[in-house]
Amino acid sequence: MNFTHLFAASIIALPLTLSGAQAQTQLSRNEIVNSLQGAQTKAEINAADVRAQALQNIRQYPGDNATTSLPISAQLAKLRQFNVEITFDFDSDRIRPESYETIGVIADALHTPYLWGQTFFVVGHTDAKGKREYNLELSQRRANAVREALVTTFFVPSEQLEAIGLGEEQLRDPSNPDGAINRRVQLINVGF
Amino acid sequence: MSKSLWAAIFLLAGTMIHMPGAYAQTIGFADAIKILNSSCGEDIEKYCKSANIGNGRIQKCLAENEARISPRCKADYAGVYISLQTRLAAQSVVSRICDRDARRLCSGTEPGKGHVLRCLLKAQPSVSADCNQAIDDAGYR
Repeated sequence: MNFTHLFAASIIALPLTLSGAQAQTQLSRNEIVNSLQGAQTKAEINAADVRAQALQNIRQYPGDNATTSLPISAQLAKLRQFNVEITFDFDSDRIRPESYETIGVIADALHTPYLWGQTFFVVGHTDAKGKREYNLELSQRRANAVREALVTTFFVPSEQLEAIGLGEEQLRDPSNPDGAINRRVQLINVGF
Repeated sequence: MSKSLWAAIFLLAGTMIHMPGAYAQTIGFADAIKILNSSCGEDIEKYCKSANIGNGRIQKCLAENEARISPRCKADYAGVYISLQTRLAAQSVVSRICDRDARRLCSGTEPGKGHVLRCLLKAQPSVSADCNQAIDDAGYR
């Protein structure tokens, strides 16, 4: 089991072709804002229900890997969202210093007036290596750590963020269950 | 956080409240916190191996290890947290500085949920210099 980069790499790659550091940050922030903005009404989705569905998925369909998606996943997929890479210590919810900037970019985005007053799920995902229950618990702790950083270090209003760990229950690429593409933190706009 | 740090923040915030036309240097949260990695990343991995970023734990750990951390980290880390507070302070004064512009240009806009600020962002050419500067300092543009 290698959990070092459990949430690693997804669609937001930093635009390394840009020369200025300022420009990099600016572009990424706007990319996040553009991906997340535009929610019209409050989605009737409760964070506790999503967590419960993940646990139920393991109990109802036990086995090495999840074979079914969560009942709520189709509804979640319709919402404004984006994926980001955040790296953690092995087997731990400790965010590595090289990912501080990424969390800062998310904070810069959430502070813009375009996203005010909306609620976001911070969803942690792992790949399929290791035990499902373990991955579920670790991803919840990691989502909690990201939420805590956003709320305390970067002053994002706490009522705007809910942390959810989905472990390996919602793979991004089920045909490649151990692939890095599955390790990610997802931000989902559940609306006003 | 030390008294002098808070004093610096309030001084900066005060400057922005009383002299809205003066240019207040602020940087975004990402640009501020990335200095913590570039200046202190190695020290954090050495001395703060069990500390997470949230709730001021890295800041506390670096303060406790000030005698051991690198000169570069020692010189930079407190400034990172001042920058974060300064950006927050800049955001907190925008609605006051832009109040007159909001009433002049966005009276038909339903307040709340960022609507008025988005109106002011769109109306940039007609917005006063003070308000536009406040919006820039807050990182809202």
